[in-house]
Amino acid sequence: MRTPTHGPNGLPASDPGGKNSMTTTSPALDETESIIRIYNVTKTFESKTKTVTAVNDVSFTVNRGEIFGLLGPNGAGKSTLIRILTTLLQPTSGTAFLDSYEITKYPENVRSIIGVCPQNSTLDVELTAYDNLAFYGKLVNVPEATLDKRIWELLKMTELADRAYMPVGTFSGGMRRKLEIVRAFIHHPLILFLDEPTIGLDPEARREVWQQISTLNREKTTIILTTHYMDEAEKLCNRIAFVDKGRLIALDTLENLKLRLPAGDLIEIGFENMDERAVSAIRSNPLVNSAEIQGNQIVISARNGSKVLPALISSFEEFSIPMNSISIHSPSLEDVFIYLTGSKLDEGSGGESKPVTRGRPP
Amino acid sequence: MIRGAAAIFTRDFKKFLSNPFVIMMTLLMPIMYLVIFGNAMGGTITHIPVAVVQEEPYVGDTPLFVSAVRSLENQAQTDYPRTFDITIYSDEEKAKRDLSNGLIKGVVVFPSVVSRDHAVRLYVDSSDYVTPTMVESGVQTAVMQSGAVNPIEINKIYGDIKYIQFFGVGVIVMAIFMTTMFGGGIALIKDRELGIVEGYLVTPVKRSSIIVGMIGSGTVRAFFAGFVIFIVDILFTGIIIQNPEDFLLILLVLFITSLGVTSLMVSIASRFTNQQEYSSVAAFLSLILFMTSGAFYPTIGMPDWLRWITVINPEWYAVDALRSIILRGQGMEVIGMDLIALLIFSGTAIVLGISTFRRTLE
Repeated sequence: MRTPTHGPNGLPASDPGGKNSMTTTSPALDETESIIRIYNVTKTFESKTKTVTAVNDVSFTVNRGEIFGLLGPNGAGKSTLIRILTTLLQPTSGTAFLDSYEITKYPENVRSIIGVCPQNSTLDVELTAYDNLAFYGKLVNVPEATLDKRIWELLKMTELADRAYMPVGTFSGGMRRKLEIVRAFIHHPLILFLDEPTIGLDPEARREVWQQISTLNREKTTIILTTHYMDEAEKLCNRIAFVDKGRLIALDTLENLKLRLPAGDLIEIGFENMDERAVSAIRSNPLVNSAEIQGNQIVISARNGSKVLPALISSFEEFSIPMNSISIHSPSLEDVFIYLTGSKLDEGSGGESKPVTRGRPP
Repeated sequence: MIRGAAAIFTRDFKKFLSNPFVIMMTLLMPIMYLVIFGNAMGGTITHIPVAVVQEEPYVGDTPLFVSAVRSLENQAQTDYPRTFDITIYSDEEKAKRDLSNGLIKGVVVFPSVVSRDHAVRLYVDSSDYVTPTMVESGVQTAVMQSGAVNPIEINKIYGDIKYIQFFGVGVIVMAIFMTTMFGGGIALIKDRELGIVEGYLVTPVKRSSIIVGMIGSGTVRAFFAGFVIFIVDILFTGIIIQNPEDFLLILLVLFITSLGVTSLMVSIASRFTNQQEYSSVAAFLSLILFMTSGAFYPTIGMPDWLRWITVINPEWYAVDALRSIILRGQGMEVIGMDLIALLIFSGTAIVLGISTFRRTLE
């Protein structure tokens, strides 16, 4: 199941990512080794009336073992990109490597190292939870000898063991989703693709699914997650790629993405009497962009607010100014997205969005 | 109230008009009923092949023979071609052999003398539901017109066969067709609609495995349906299977038919993404194929253009083969042609089914 050492080495002559660590076995480097490398992938769909570019010259790498978020509005090209990476679609140009396999040359090998949980449920609702897992296990070549043990392991992990022999049709939306996610994980894939894993779920069920995803990630599986929920990405993802209108707009950790906002964090500190010296001390802090007194509080705009805060507080203490209240308002991922794209995440990216077809509501 | 009703009316109508294909098919159905049912069931039967033999010892054509043959040859309904195609045989045994092989529908053996003691012997193929009575009355007329007083002795070579027994055989084939077209086909389209088939494609399972598994399960399901109706036939219509070889032969015919019909269904269902469109085509096909299969009524009564459909109708060969085995106790030597036709059909259907379904996987 794991990469054979003598497998086809599909690395291109140039390695734009500069992270070619295929030859090294150093554990320190393994942490940062990239498992997915995407080079200039473009996908256009031709129809009689117009040509739609769903994915436009996208390149990036995903590190081994991380939870990687692919964010963007409906129709941004997330699903198309996932379909290309999971060998369902051929890219119009460009290519990508999953582990050491080139997606267009070795699709069979790629399929054996990935697990996919599509946006629309593909569970057989007439079959029991056990049967659903057993069926999928056979499709992905889980050895017969270990299949039964593995199924129970997964059922216990999802706390569905007591419902193993009940038809999936009787399950709640959250239970189905969890079952479907672990189903994609039955063969210990190196990479797990989750396409909008919590769409249409209630908050409680979403939390359970998030829990599930974190648990799976602990087993050293790289997880690629597409979503258009900001909180989901904030909660789960190590690194996030913003996609809009087929283009990659930004890729970084959540913290770094927030740093891109020129305003940074807003810190509001309430007081009774202000000392001008304290204000100038605060303004002299290199991380502080601006500090304005508004009535009985000072509003400070600073990069990386939580790091600045101790210094600010000591300035207050230095001049013996009692504080009434402190609040930090961090910009949300949504603020970052709006800043970078000029459009809201839920709005979709114009007329190119395809109609969303969903399965029956849970 | 009026506003709501009008809204629902408009909505229904817009939906109805949105699919011209289904409208066309639903209108075509009753028209096909009219044309096919009308022609298949009420058609005037002509050109019934009948053998005439002069009883041994042969001395020369007797006047009775000559005049009766002329009378038979000239019988016809107004404005229609002659009713019987008369062939003169010199060997009674050969004529009977041809009768039991289904080449001719009746054998008339004329005695050498005109007298009350010497009967005109008539042998008819009683597995055919319509022609025996026609041959019978034809011979009666001929003997009367010749002024002979000989009695007529009627031998039904397969005994008395009730209509339900004649029809029951057709229903076995109908069961296979219905199960596949409506059960299997719609399930397949639904699986594609829900993305379940696409879910297979991101696993290492081979494309060919998907097709073989699918056609295999459909075949077994269709075979099972045919078998159940066959057993029901035995219990309710009083048909008797003479020996184990016949039984095995029936299973063989059921299997080949199931395989062919299932593959045909796969190829048709692969062309449709819309359940409604597929259903209307399936209903149309099952109507036209069943009507021209000879299950209801012998195809000999059909107009020529309709009989052409029976030549390419796999159901006709299946019904004919089953009738030969079940009603006439005939074996391989008679149903050989039917089997070859069914094998050609199944082979073509498999190739067609695999290639069209494969296209949906690309």
